[in-house]
Amino acid sequence: MIENGQNQQTLSAFQTLNGHGAAAPVVVSGGRVSRDDRRTVGEPLVKDPRITCRSVNVWYDKTHAIQDVTLDIGRNQVIAMIGPSGCGKSTFLRCLNRMNDTIDSCRVDGQICLDEQDILGPQVDVVSLRAQVGMVFQKPNPFPKSIYDNVAYGPRIHGLVRGRVEEDELVESSLIKAGLWDEVKDRLTSPGTGLSGGQQQRLCIARAIAVSPEVILMDEPCSALDPIATAKIEELIDELRVQFTIVIVTHSMQQAARVSQRTAYFHLGELIEVGETKKIFTMPRHRLTEDYITGRFG
Amino acid sequence: MQDASIKKQRIEQRLARRYRADRRFRRLGLAAVLFGLVCVLILFISIFSKGYSAFWQTRIQLPLVLDAAVLGVADTADLNRADYNGLVKKTLRQLFPEVVQRGEKRKLYGLVSTGAAHQIREMLIRTPDLLGSAQEIWVPADDDVDMLMKGKIDRSLPESERRLSDLELTWLDTLAAQGRIKKVWNTTFFTAGDSREPELAGIRGAVTGSFYTLLVTLSLSFPIGVASAVYLEEFAPKNRLTDLIEVNINNLAAVPSIVFGLLGLAVFINFFGVPRSVPLVGGLVLTLMTLPTIIIAGRAALRAVPPSIREAARGIGASPLQVVFHHVLPLAMPGMLTGTIIGMAQALGETAPLLVIGMVAFIVDIPGGLTEPATVLPVQIYLWADSPELAFLEKTSAAIMVLLLFLVVMNGLAIFLRKRFECRW
Repeated sequence: MIENGQNQQTLSAFQTLNGHGAAAPVVVSGGRVSRDDRRTVGEPLVKDPRITCRSVNVWYDKTHAIQDVTLDIGRNQVIAMIGPSGCGKSTFLRCLNRMNDTIDSCRVDGQICLDEQDILGPQVDVVSLRAQVGMVFQKPNPFPKSIYDNVAYGPRIHGLVRGRVEEDELVESSLIKAGLWDEVKDRLTSPGTGLSGGQQQRLCIARAIAVSPEVILMDEPCSALDPIATAKIEELIDELRVQFTIVIVTHSMQQAARVSQRTAYFHLGELIEVGETKKIFTMPRHRLTEDYITGRFG
Repeated sequence: MQDASIKKQRIEQRLARRYRADRRFRRLGLAAVLFGLVCVLILFISIFSKGYSAFWQTRIQLPLVLDAAVLGVADTADLNRADYNGLVKKTLRQLFPEVVQRGEKRKLYGLVSTGAAHQIREMLIRTPDLLGSAQEIWVPADDDVDMLMKGKIDRSLPESERRLSDLELTWLDTLAAQGRIKKVWNTTFFTAGDSREPELAGIRGAVTGSFYTLLVTLSLSFPIGVASAVYLEEFAPKNRLTDLIEVNINNLAAVPSIVFGLLGLAVFINFFGVPRSVPLVGGLVLTLMTLPTIIIAGRAALRAVPPSIREAARGIGASPLQVVFHHVLPLAMPGMLTGTIIGMAQALGETAPLLVIGMVAFIVDIPGGLTEPATVLPVQIYLWADSPELAFLEKTSAAIMVLLLFLVVMNGLAIFLRKRFECRW
C-alpha cells in the first residue's frame, strides 16, 4: 500500500515536471499512441533510482539534439537506449558523465542527479564524476600500453591503490570480472592493442570497472565486434549488472532484448517510450516504437 | 547479344587508354625522382671531387738542430720568446746552400708554412728536454706547395702564369727526391680555427660555434615550441584570437630568414645589449626562425593522435593535463622530435640572419662559451668561398662535406627516433 502511494506521488511529480499535465494521450487504432504525439509514454520513473534525469535538453549551437527528456535509471539493472541513427541516444548517454563538456558548441540544461547529487552544476568535478560513471566506447580504444597498465591506469591516477601488491590484485580482479583474465594472464606486459577486437573491448570494460564506478555507460560496445565476441560481451554485461548500473546504447534490438531489463526508445531527440524491455518489444504503446521494432524504419 | 559485344568493345577501347595513362604517369613520376637523384648525385660528386683532397695535407721534413744559440735563448725558461722563425730559415738555407740572393731566399722560406715556427715552439714548450738535440720534423708546407703536390697547379704553364716559379719547382723536386715531402691526414683541418693561411685553417672554431648556437636554439625552441603546440592544440579555446595566432605562426614560417636577423639585431643586440657575434645571440635569432617549424610540426603530430585515445583517458577520469601528458604527448613525441630535428637542421644550415648579427667576423680562436665571438659552419663556408687563395676552394668543399654529414646524421637521427618511439596499433 505504502509503496503504491509513493509510486503515485512520484508519477504525479513527473507529470508536472514534464509539463504534460493531465491531457490524455492521443490514441489511434490498435490502442497505440499516435505518431504525432511525442510525449513520453510508459514508465520513465522507477523506485529508488540511481540516476534521475529531469527535463534534460541538449543543444548543439541551434540544433535541439535532446528535447525535454525525463528518465530514471534504476539500480543494478541494464537500461538499453534504442532508436534510429541521430536520434540523440549517444548524446544523452554522454550527458551522464559530462563527456559533452569538451564540445564547445554543446549546451546542456535540465537536471541530472546521480544518487541525488546534481552532476550538471558548474561546481561538480568532472574528474571525480567520471570515477563514478565509467564509459565504454563504440570502438575498442585501449591505450597503446601494456594490458596491465591499461587496467591499472585509472586506479593509479585516482590514487585508489597503495603499493604493488594491491595494484596487482585490483588488475587481476578487474580482468577476472571482465572475463579476460584466463586469456591474458600470461602476457600482461604485452601491449593491449595487440589483442583481438573482442578482447580489446573486454579490456576496455576491465579498465572501466577497475575504478569501481557506480554506473557504466556503454556506447554501442559491440558494433565493431563479430557475433562470438558480441555474445561474450553480452554475457559479461549480464554478470556486471549485479554490481553496477549499466546504460547501454545499441543499434541491435536483439541485443537490447537480450541484455536489458528496461528499454528507452528515442526518436529525433525525444524520448518516445520507456518501459520494461519485455513490454516494449511485445506490446509497444507508441506507434513510433512499434514502427521501429517491427523494422518499418531504421 | 550484339549489345553485349558493343559494350565489351567500348570498354576495351577505354581500357587501353586508361592503362596508357597509368603507365605514362608512372614513367613521369619515375623520371622526376631520377632527375632529382641525378641532381643530388652531381652535387655530391662535384663537392666530393673538389673537397676530398682537403683532408690531406702536404708536409715537408726539416732536419732541425734545436740549438740554443740559433734560437737565441739561454735556457728552457726563455722558450716562449725564442726565434723559431730564424731556426726554420737557417735549416732551409742549410738544405739549399746554393741560394744566396735575397729574393730567392725569400722564395725558399716561403716553401714552408708560417705555422712551422709555431709547431716547433709548441713542441719545445711541451718537451723542453729536446733543446740542443737534432730532430727531423715534418712541418706543414705552404698552401701553394700543397696545391702543386695535389696536382692543382699545372707545371706545363709558362712560369709567369704559375703561382710557383721554376726555381721553386726544382727545390721541391729535390726535396721530393730526398723523401722530404709527404702527404698526411690533415688533422689541422679538424683541430684549428680559421686562419688567413689555408694550410693552417680549420673548421673546429666554426663547428664549436655551430654547436653552441644550436645548443641555445634547441634548449629554447624545443620547450617553447612544444608548449605552444600543446597549448594551442589541446587547451586554447577556438576563437578569433587563437585563429589569428595560428595564421601568424604560419606566416612566420614563411618569413625570409634575413628578416629574423634584422629583428635580432634590433631587439637582442641594440635593445637588450646582448654582445654581437656570439652564439647566444645567434641561437636566439635561430630560435625565432625555428619556432614556427616546431610549432607547426608539433600541432600536426598532436592532431594525428586519434581522438579515441583522448576520449578513453577522459572517460576514465583523467584530468586534462593527465590526458595530454600521459597519453597524447607520448604518442605525438616522435612527430614532434622529427619536426624539431628538421628545424635544427635548417638552423644548422642558416647563414643570412647570422651575417646580420655579426657572426661573419674573422675569428681565429675556438669559442669557449656562449658569449665569446664565434662563427658557424655555413658562414665559414661563405667566408672561405670568398677567399682568393686556390687552397680555400678545396677547404670550402670539405667544409660543405662536413656540414652535409651533420645534416645527414641529424636527419638519420630523426628517422631513428620516429621508428624507435613510433606506436603501432
